[in-house]
Formats: sequence, structure tokens, C-alpha cells
Amino acid sequence: MSESAATLSAMLRSRNVELPRYGWRTHGPGFVAIAVLIGLFFLGVPVLGISFERFIPGLWRLGDIVMLMMPPSPETWSRFFIYLEALGQTLAIAFLGTMTAAVFAIPLGFLAARNIVANRIVHFFARRLLDTVRSVDTLIWALIWINVVGLGPFAGALAIASADICALAKLMSEAIETADRRPVEGVTASGGSRAAAVRFGIVPQVLPVFASQVLYYIESNTRSATIIGIVGAGGIGVHLSEMIRVLEWQQVSFLILMVLVTVAIIDQISRVLRKTIAGRG
Amino acid sequence: MLAIEHVSKVYGTTRAVDAVSLGITPGQFVGVIGRSGAGKSTLLRMINRLGEPTEGRIRFGDIDVTALSGPALRDWRRRCAMIFQQFNLVGRLDVLNNVLMGRLAHTSAWRAFPRLWSREDRAIALSALDQLDIAGLAAQRAEDLSGGQQQRVAICRALVQEPDIILADEPVASLDPRNAKIVMDALLRINKHFGITVLCNLHSLDLARTYCDRLVGMAQGRVVFDDVPAALTEEVARELYGMEAHEVLDADLGPGLLAPMPSAVAA
Repeated sequence: MSESAATLSAMLRSRNVELPRYGWRTHGPGFVAIAVLIGLFFLGVPVLGISFERFIPGLWRLGDIVMLMMPPSPETWSRFFIYLEALGQTLAIAFLGTMTAAVFAIPLGFLAARNIVANRIVHFFARRLLDTVRSVDTLIWALIWINVVGLGPFAGALAIASADICALAKLMSEAIETADRRPVEGVTASGGSRAAAVRFGIVPQVLPVFASQVLYYIESNTRSATIIGIVGAGGIGVHLSEMIRVLEWQQVSFLILMVLVTVAIIDQISRVLRKTIAGRG
Repeated sequence: MLAIEHVSKVYGTTRAVDAVSLGITPGQFVGVIGRSGAGKSTLLRMINRLGEPTEGRIRFGDIDVTALSGPALRDWRRRCAMIFQQFNLVGRLDVLNNVLMGRLAHTSAWRAFPRLWSREDRAIALSALDQLDIAGLAAQRAEDLSGGQQQRVAICRALVQEPDIILADEPVASLDPRNAKIVMDALLRINKHFGITVLCNLHSLDLARTYCDRLVGMAQGRVVFDDVPAALTEEVARELYGMEAHEVLDADLGPGLLAPMPSAVAA
């Protein structure tokens, strides 16, 4: 310890200020956590049969595929228009699916909110139901609906709707629960009914939040709708999986580009809209 | 005549309001004073039934307020309007619609929910705003207004309920002195002009003395003082406010009551 540091700590001690000590007690848990993570990684390698001998040549193969993708091209204009129509279908699946989910999610969200339905048992079961159904992924719903209504965009829209009803309902119920309760009290105290208190005290607060959540889901479902197309639920994903199967790499890269550009545009629109909605409050 | 009979409110082991009995004569401007946590808010909220009394009864004429439910309870709330410290407006609705919340008890749900207020109701609401000099703000969002303006909107909401009583729970505690005066003046005008009884929780002794006909002092949930403002001596005030006495007294009491002792001046 240098002289100045020694005088400084002596001065602090005289004022009953203890210098904080750093050692295993403070930093230990962090080191242990990092060690455990590294250990798990190396434990996972043999379990999954990851072999670096296969990986390195695989990288070359990946490079070959990327070369084969160049330049991206739909080959003919007629194919381009077919893809464009399929892309429109994907957007329609995302939009209709999310809107359907929202229509069902709003009443469910109110049912699952503690400040609306005071009954603890109803609240508990509503929440568990939402959590359970929410954990089933869109892709699984797509496979189920394809078996029920057949291949095509209808199955896709149903898959997105069923996967997101509960996810949206949960988000909405949380928005309702965090709503300021003072307006509710204000309406109640003036002689408004319970329904009026919800209508005027809560709905004006949560509607913009709902709108923003639904917009975000439309945005993210544009990506999901592409993926579920691959298992046959309509849209551009159908073409994507077909072109991968017949090794038409230039068309594959063209399709991927189309999706990327569309998602970027939807992201922008949604961001601007959500900003506008939030800005009004 | 509003009669509060042995009303108590118990939270766990604390008696927030402890066997309070009061009779409020129509037309009075009553100030309820006392330190924070004395039970003033709890008492006021029980009168509007935002809180349920644990014991005791509240009567208004022939009505047993404590036994009301459903439409009768809503009608009672219509008759005893409430004004809150935090205004409790619907921030995202415009001012006129906020005032019209006071007409909910007069309006059927199928007209109120889509906000199809009758021409008459809109006229009533606007004239209430005009009385408080804020008719020009009718189309503004409530949350964009200043605190003083919001509290005046809340008073308009109370007015259009056509109430018998106005309960004001610390109506000026979140306002600066100038706005506090505007809001208290408005309450006084309503009291004198329309004869509406006002029951007002106040922390500030100065305001209580200026505006009220009668002061009710509460400490630890009990009524410890109930008389005209002139009868409130420094001694009683010290008992009421305890540790907080010096803030309230030094700032608020006029020289007549808190004149320094001659010896103190000499020193």
C-alpha cells in the first residue's frame, strides 16, 4: 500500500467508514456461474454427437451453397408473380391470424386480470390455462390444423390465431393489472357501475397498449407465417421448402430476400404506428 | 342530516378509525383536521362506501348508508360526491367526458358506454366548467392539464352529480398555494351558493380556519375536537398534530394565537 493510500484508509477508519473488501465472498458466485456454463457446454458436445471433423468440411459445403445462390433470381417473370402472390398470402395469414387472436384475447385478458375478476379461483385457472396453451408453438398448431382443415393458408391462419390467443391474452391481462386504479375509483365514487368503472376507468388506459401489442404480433407473425408455410400451411414458405428440396438455390436466395425485405418494411411501418400510438399518451 | 354512529375501521390490529360519532348538519362546511394517518381519509371513504366500516352505522335521513348495495348504493354515491387528492380523473379522456362521468348515475349504460350523452347532459357539464372558469378546456385531454385545473375538473364532475354532500379528501394537498386557494374558493362558493354540505379533509390548519364553519379534529382514529374554528387553541392543535405540530403551527397560525412569549422576544 502506498503512503497516501495508507493515510487515506486511516482517515476513513477514524470516521468509522469501513473500506469495502472484494474477494471470494463477493466475486465467487460470478466465477462459479461462468465455470458451470463452460462445463455444461463441453458436456453437451458429446451428448449431441457434435463432431468437428464433420463441421469443417461442412463449412466448405455451406460456402458452395452460398456460391450456388448467386445471383438471386426467380428465373422467370411468371415465377416472380407467383412468389409475389404467395408473399401476399403470407402477409394475409399473419394479419388475419393475429386479428382473430386479438378478438378472442381481449375478453380472455379481462377475465385473467386480477383487478377485473376478483375471484381467486377463476383467476388462478384462467392464468394456468393461458400459460399452458401459450407453451404450444405456432409450428405445432400448424401441423395439427393441417390435419384438421387440410393443407393451405386457412390452416396457417388458424395456427397463428390459436398460438397467439393465449400469449396476447396474458400480455393484455398484465396491461390491465398495471392500469392506474385512480380513475376507476373516481368513476365508482361518482355512482358509476362496476361495468362503467371498467369501461371508463380502465379501457381508455389499456386500448393503446393493446393496439401496440397487436401490431408487434402482426410484425413477428410475418416471420412465423413464413416458417409454417414450410410444413404446408400456405404462403411463401411452401415455395421456399420446395425450392430447397429441388436444390434451386438461386430461387431459394431470391425467396429469402423477398421475405427479408417484406419483414423490414413491416417492421418499419409497425414501429412508426406504435410510436404514434404511444406518443398520444 | 348525515349521522355517523360509532363507526370503526380495523386493519389487522390497528384501529384506523375508532368509534367515531358525528352529526353533520346540511349546509355546513366542515373541516376534518389532524396529522397524516389520523384516520381522516378512511373516515371520508367510508361515507362514500369506497371503504366498508368494520363496526357502526352511517345514516343519511332515513337511509342506512352502511346497508346499501346495487343501484341504491350507486344512487348514494351520486348524492355524496367525492373529490380526491390525486383528482382521479380519466387521463386519456377529454375534460368534458370526465365531467360527464358525474352523470353516469343519471344515464343508462347503452347511452353512456358509447358516450352518447344527451344534449342536456352535455349542456350541464359545460355550464359546470363555465362556473369554474375552465369551459375553454372542455376539449383537452385531462392528463394534459395542470394539477389545479384537474382538481377544478374533478369539482365539476362532483357538481354535475347534483349531490347533497361533497366529500373532499385532501383536495389541495398536491397543489401550490395559489391553486389551493382557487380550489378552496370554488368549494366555498359551491357550499354557499348551492347549499351543498362540504366535508373536507385538510392537513393545513390555516386553510381549515379560513374556510370552515366547523372543525373536527382527529387523532389516532378518534375525534378529539369538534367545535367552531375560533375554539381551536394552540394547546389543542399541539395535541392534534403531535410531532408535526411545529410545521403546522409555525407556518399557519396567525400572530394572534402564536405570538411569541415576551421573554422569547427579549432573548
